[in-house]
Amino acid sequence: MSRADRWTGERAVGIAVVAAALLTASPPVRLSAQDSQFGIRGLGTPGRWESVRSRSSGGAFAPFDPLSPLTEAPLADIGQLTATAAGGTSHRDALVGDTTTKLRATRFPLLVVAGRVAPRLAVAGGFTTYLDRSWDVTLRDSAVLRGTLERYRDEITSDGSVADIRLAAASRLSRRIAIGAGVHILAGSTRMTAERRFDDSTFRTVGQVDEVRYDGFGVSGSVLIGVVPGLTIAGWARADNRLRAKVGDTTSAVTDLPRMAGGGLLFVPSPSVRFAGSAAWRSWSNAGPGAFDTWSWSAGAEFGSGRMPFRLGARGGQLPFGPGTKAPTEFAAAAGTGRAFAQGRAVIDLGVERLERRGGILIERVWTVLVGLTVRP
Amino acid sequence: MTRRRLALVGAVLLVAACVERLTAPGHCPEFCPSGQITVVDTLLTTSINRDSSVRGYVVSYQSALMLAAHLPGPTDTLDSRPIFRFNGFGLRLRISTADTSTGLILGADSARLQLTIVRRDTAMRNLRLQFYRLPTTIDTTTTFGAVAAPFTDSLVRTINVDTLLAQPGRKDTVTGDSVVVDTLNHRLLLSLKFDTTAARYIGTDSGMVAYGIRIAADTLASIAFGKGTVGPVLQWYLHVDSLGRPVARAPGSLAAALANFVFAPPPAPLDSTLAVGGVPSARSLLRVAFPKFIRDSSQIIRGTLYLVPAVAARGAPADSFVMEARTVLADFGRKSPIDPRLDDPIVIHPGATDTVKIEVTNMLQLWAADSTHPTVFLLRPQAEAQYLGEIRFYPSAALAFRPTLQVTYVKRFPFGVP
Repeated sequence: MSRADRWTGERAVGIAVVAAALLTASPPVRLSAQDSQFGIRGLGTPGRWESVRSRSSGGAFAPFDPLSPLTEAPLADIGQLTATAAGGTSHRDALVGDTTTKLRATRFPLLVVAGRVAPRLAVAGGFTTYLDRSWDVTLRDSAVLRGTLERYRDEITSDGSVADIRLAAASRLSRRIAIGAGVHILAGSTRMTAERRFDDSTFRTVGQVDEVRYDGFGVSGSVLIGVVPGLTIAGWARADNRLRAKVGDTTSAVTDLPRMAGGGLLFVPSPSVRFAGSAAWRSWSNAGPGAFDTWSWSAGAEFGSGRMPFRLGARGGQLPFGPGTKAPTEFAAAAGTGRAFAQGRAVIDLGVERLERRGGILIERVWTVLVGLTVRP
Repeated sequence: MTRRRLALVGAVLLVAACVERLTAPGHCPEFCPSGQITVVDTLLTTSINRDSSVRGYVVSYQSALMLAAHLPGPTDTLDSRPIFRFNGFGLRLRISTADTSTGLILGADSARLQLTIVRRDTAMRNLRLQFYRLPTTIDTTTTFGAVAAPFTDSLVRTINVDTLLAQPGRKDTVTGDSVVVDTLNHRLLLSLKFDTTAARYIGTDSGMVAYGIRIAADTLASIAFGKGTVGPVLQWYLHVDSLGRPVARAPGSLAAALANFVFAPPPAPLDSTLAVGGVPSARSLLRVAFPKFIRDSSQIIRGTLYLVPAVAARGAPADSFVMEARTVLADFGRKSPIDPRLDDPIVIHPGATDTVKIEVTNMLQLWAADSTHPTVFLLRPQAEAQYLGEIRFYPSAALAFRPTLQVTYVKRFPFGVP
């Protein structure tokens, strides 16, 4: 092993430790995750189909990132077999009135493996979080039972998610145009519990547990068009049919899933400066009462070389589920960097995101620390 | 080495990073799941049917206690009298432990009778015990009437327990009686001296002797004497002939060969009511048509069985007894084997006419979990034939007062519904 290789390896381990420490540490302002209290009453909290690199720039680069499972067309430009995975720890403050609840979660929401299988054809497979359905709600209340006011404490939990398992293919039709398409299998399960403890122990504790399995199907397509050198636009669309929830052999719910469409603009004035912006629309109101169609936007930039770039960005938009007649809103700012090792065969991306969601009486403030690992063997 | 350490630290930190904290107070309905825990409370008024009572499970001689009572009532007096018999040593007794030579038992100098009072009302005052010599022919079939005559004319001793307790050291130096108070087990151990007249050893009758006890007190008298390991014990002090010379011998103590009690009046015959308790003990069976909608798709969190007494519970005021509701492993009517796993007890207070409520949640949950289990309640006294008290409930045939079952249950939570 050469000295240079040793140095590179030790640095890699060091950075991994720093990344882990960032995931673990509890700063004075507590950090948070993908989950949201807004998703409890709806289908869940939609995942973000972005690699750490894209998410560190607010998600603006996702339509152009072959390792973000938002679109397929960028896969056409993937040079070699590449795999990426992401992890994130979120610390979330949920504020309702004067009450603040500090929450914390760790997720590994992304795995993508992509590579070229023919001179003009690249394929990718992997999964990402479609809906996060992990939450734990406690409630103190009372009810009149047998003529007496009985006080109790409820705890209803859900632990699990719906994953989006994607198989995608892309091809560059010309120097300016690339297209892609994908099929999405939605699958997942949640372990749900409902418990009620009465203060009066004459009433036994209610404890019900079940596993809810979910399935669905979707298709997507996207296109990349190079308008002029340094300026690329992207368009994408996706349709998912429905999410079926089954408890045992019984279908407990069938919920229509949204159609989605979006576009983006990538401006590369120089090899070391990149700007991007994107917007998306999702027809979540298909999901029924209490669900809203959403718009979201993002803008970001990436500076520096591919070896160690600096990224920043912001995003905003609406959440699909929430109380009242208006969709909750969210705004986030993110920054991050990356480091390539072993002649670019391994890349560690780090990001941090500050997010605020508002809807009704609830405000959520979230810190998320993201770590991504990309390998090109 | 440094790299390994760093990798180890990194792995530990990564594991630590996976700690989740998702519990948050719910602000309903805005930020709660749409499904809620639904509690339903229902009164099953017609679900209990085919109920019946049977007497005779435990009779007096099988009881763990000998009951003594003298309870005057409005129409008659409940009078219960312990009777017990000791077998003797026969005509001859070994004179020495060194050889096998025996001598003719000439008679008894005295005897010491030990009795244990295992239950009494501490508020009872001036408790008196009257000992009667009974025919040695008494057995498990002896009735109250069969020994009525000896209980009239064969009084051998009377002691006042309260007077004895008041003696210095709880010993009566004149009569030779003593009493030990077992505060741990709440018992009185009586040691009573019977003189030659009270304790006659008749070798030709194999030395058997039998006694009966009547009790009296200033208030309603009801106590219980122990049997078995805490039963009556008799220590003889005998004269034995040794080559023409009488010698004193104290052979080993004798436990009672028979320990029973007789009482009058006998329990009223069973009728359509549901009887529980008494001697011989009575049990009642209640068959429940357990609704399928509760059994199959809900979680029972409370079940209460309501029973309306047809008459006031009988028995001494201080002799409250525990009635227990159980279920059976198979419904074979009066011979149904009891499921030993579950019991739900309740105290029955004699004289009370209030509706009896028994929590039977355990059994209902068992029935819901095991659909093959017979849905039958069996009511019986927890200590059968150890109390004279008895309670009778209205049966299902009495439409206005029939047994009812109140069930509180939770419907299946709508998991999977957004």
